Amino acid sequence: MHALEIRNLSHWYGTRRILNKVNLTIAPGQIVALVGPSGCGKSTLLRAILGTDPPSEGEVLAEGRLVTEPNRDVGIVYQNYSLYEFLSAEENVAFGLKLDKTSLISRFIALPAYLRKRREHLQMARDFLKKVGLEAAMGHYPAELSGGMRQRVAIAQAFILQPKIVLLDEPFGALDEATREDLQLMLLRFYQENLKAKQRGERPQYTIIIVTHELNEAIYVADRVIGLSRFHTEGSQGAMVVYDRPCPVFHPDDPKDLSKFVEQREELRSAVFDPNYVKHHSKYVSFWDELSNDALAVAAMNSR
Amino acid sequence: MTKKHWIFVCLFGAAFAGCEPSNKSTPNSTGSGTAGTSSAKPATFTLAWSEYPSWSVFGVADEIGLLNKEAGKLGELEKKWNVDIVLKGVDYDTCLQMYGSNTADAVCITNMDTLGPATDRASVAILPTSTSVGADACIAVGVNDLEGLKGKTTRGLERSVSQYAFERILIKKGLNPKDYPFSNMDPGAAASALQTGDSNVQSIMVWNPFVMQTLRDQPKSKKLFDSSEIPEEIIDMVVVGKDSLAKEGGKAFASCIVETFYAINQRMADPKTADKTLVAIGANFSSLGLEDMKQVVQQTRFYKSPEEALKLLSSEEFRTKTMPAVAEFCVEHKIVEKKPSIGFDSADSQVNFDTSFLQAATSGK
Amino acid sequence: MIRRPIPRWLVVLLGILGVFSLLAVYGGLSYRQSLVNEKQKVIPGLQAFGDGVTRMTAPQGSEETPKPSMLVTDLRATYWRLFLGTGLGVVLSVVVGIAMGAYRWIAAPLAPIISFLAKIPPTAMLPIYFVLVGSDQTMFTTMVALGIFFTMAQSVYQSIVNDVKDEAIDKAYTLGASDPEIVYEVIWKQVLPPILDNIRLQIGPAMIFLLAAEMLVGAEGMGYRIRMESRVLNMSIVYIYLCILGFTGLIGDWCLLWLRKKLCPWYDR
Ligand SMILES: Nc1ncnc2c1ncn2[C@@H]1O[C@H](COP(=O)(O)OP(=O)(O)O)[C@@H](O)[C@H]1O
Ligand SMILES: [Mg+2]
Repeated sequence: MHALEIRNLSHWYGTRRILNKVNLTIAPGQIVALVGPSGCGKSTLLRAILGTDPPSEGEVLAEGRLVTEPNRDVGIVYQNYSLYEFLSAEENVAFGLKLDKTSLISRFIALPAYLRKRREHLQMARDFLKKVGLEAAMGHYPAELSGGMRQRVAIAQAFILQPKIVLLDEPFGALDEATREDLQLMLLRFYQENLKAKQRGERPQYTIIIVTHELNEAIYVADRVIGLSRFHTEGSQGAMVVYDRPCPVFHPDDPKDLSKFVEQREELRSAVFDPNYVKHHSKYVSFWDELSNDALAVAAMNSR
Repeated sequence: MTKKHWIFVCLFGAAFAGCEPSNKSTPNSTGSGTAGTSSAKPATFTLAWSEYPSWSVFGVADEIGLLNKEAGKLGELEKKWNVDIVLKGVDYDTCLQMYGSNTADAVCITNMDTLGPATDRASVAILPTSTSVGADACIAVGVNDLEGLKGKTTRGLERSVSQYAFERILIKKGLNPKDYPFSNMDPGAAASALQTGDSNVQSIMVWNPFVMQTLRDQPKSKKLFDSSEIPEEIIDMVVVGKDSLAKEGGKAFASCIVETFYAINQRMADPKTADKTLVAIGANFSSLGLEDMKQVVQQTRFYKSPEEALKLLSSEEFRTKTMPAVAEFCVEHKIVEKKPSIGFDSADSQVNFDTSFLQAATSGK
Repeated sequence: MIRRPIPRWLVVLLGILGVFSLLAVYGGLSYRQSLVNEKQKVIPGLQAFGDGVTRMTAPQGSEETPKPSMLVTDLRATYWRLFLGTGLGVVLSVVVGIAMGAYRWIAAPLAPIISFLAKIPPTAMLPIYFVLVGSDQTMFTTMVALGIFFTMAQSVYQSIVNDVKDEAIDKAYTLGASDPEIVYEVIWKQVLPPILDNIRLQIGPAMIFLLAAEMLVGAEGMGYRIRMESRVLNMSIVYIYLCILGFTGLIGDWCLLWLRKKLCPWYDR
């Protein structure tokens, strides 16, 4: 079963067509980077997947279930609005557990039972925060956290519910370089957990679409890069997926060897960002072909 | 914290600014009083008046030029008496406060309300202007007689002529005021409550124009009794502070007021100007037309001439019954702590009914 | 230099100095007025204040049926009305404000009306309230409640529009929230501090409306007393009542600030 399936998704704002028949399937455990020129419709696509802004045409399925409005199957991490400022870090992480696992009324009429559950939830939240390296600041309010810490909490908040897929919309855009790399490493560690789960025959826990304008970041953290762009033969009809290929998977302990990026980065740049390089939209869409050759699995294992 | 401090400073300034004007006029009038030995520079006196038929006369006097309400400007009669009268047309309550705080030299006031300020500021009543014979009335909806009113609350302004008339009339009818509860409400608010059919207000005791308006606009309303049962008990008058009267030009000020009042009364008597004057008096008083105003001046009977006024002030009834009864009422209702001394042409009384200006006006004819 | 810090002791000293100069100015004015008339009650001196306090606190009624003193009667009446009226107004405006903030189809018809009515001074609407709700006890409550309702409902609604981002709501849905949970766990929690601040700001207006109404139709209460006593120039009582009202406002302020600190520790960080 696909974690996410998008069928013939098109979107108009008024008479302007932004997205043109986007088709996409994502398998559980993938970390997919979504890149594209500014204003090409990446956030629009995410909102369609999230269900807040349903597509004009086509459909989105999260693990086979049609998405029509935001629900706990699809998680989200925003660049700026990342946390509830009235909750401490651990309460923010436990927020989903509270909303998802208990009902408003039961919190009032079955208070003792709720309080017991609440303790469990907070413990789970603290455990998750430990995993993302935030032991020291668990009781702090968002206003007392740095930008990087906030994004860690936001990521923990989204993943603790184990949604089918989590969307990260330029999550590290506002962070300084060093913090950014820390967080990238965190995603790579998630990916390793996915691989281990797969080996054990379990469903991997972290399925991610990450929108980024940093091509290096895309190639570094993701195992698959998708380019969304209007620069193709039917470009006047809106953006389509013009690039969809696997990319090297790094291990968190590996050095970030930039030379490995160069070739693919140039390919991406021309295929997705160069207005003069117009081609048929399917020219670089080869992910599933390559996957069927098992290239990806091999690449993943090799990187160890 | 610095900010807070500034707030203090501002409050302060506000307190200053707020108190300043209330003090100004007194030194002002004293100043011009002492300086005003020459006839070139008339002394300034302030009269506070509110809209009421026999007091709106002063507003009309300003309109037709007998007086000029502004300081430094003189009307016809002001010139004659060489006195500068400043007219302050304000709310009745404000009148009481201005007089009590020495901000006004003279005030248009009822005989009953004179007693309060008089305990602190010896007062001289120089001119009775009118008496209520029907201008204060008890009006009810859904109650037909006094028997039915028993136990039902009547609303009206407490500690005012309304409450006085209410209790006095009940006593006069041989009833016990204790059986007829009276509770405070602004007369305007009470009248509108009765007119809109507020179920909490069944009976009101108010004065004109509310009496006429209510009877006209609430068809279900019925007048249970009115002040025509106690004629010449509620007296509207002009009172001057004894201190002000003693000032240079004080007597001229009093005489000028008396003459102005009778001058307007003459215009009301003269068929040529009668209607116009009446309408002018009613213009600010209420939205009442000529016909209504004709009725109003019947219920608020003017003392049209000095002779009529003197007749009231010399009557035994008024001297030995009415004023003592009014004083009694004021003490009973805690309007005053102690009865002020009331006298007639006796300069030492706290409230002195001084007839000399009226007498001068009769001989002046 | 603007905003140059000053030492703590100076702040305290200047504060005390301010209060004392206020008293001194008052004393001066009182003295000046008594030169004009030694028996004056307009700017009363200490003696007059003493008399006023005695009169205010003396028990009323007869031996057999004693009634509480003027002060107690008035305080009880006014504070009960203030409490009921403000309580009702706050509850109503929070409910309506949140409903508007949560549902656009509720905001669409109500927002223009409420923002219009919020602009009309409630004291000017007094005569209309007489017609609509009569003039008994409920009138005071309604008067105060409606007086603060429109402004407060509007500002609750505005705080939600400004402070509760669409993202916060969408994210709550992705965390499994139901609609009531969004209202309570996201909107309510987020705007509680502005609501408390608003209540604080509305205490003043609420007192204005109540006092104005009491002055017109009250048979007891602080507004009634202030009108009656100032009519006969017992200003000592009036000033004491004004001070009580001032302190009421201050204490209300402190209580709500304290409550905000307790309930919303995140807000001041
Ligand atoms: N609510 C909207 N109404 C109209 N146009 C919109 C709206 N949201 C986005 N757009 C337009 O759609 C295009 C895609 O926007 P977006 O998805 O935010 O791009 P990006 O790829 O930078 O995230 C942009 O040209 C933007 O101006
Ligand atoms: Mg975007």
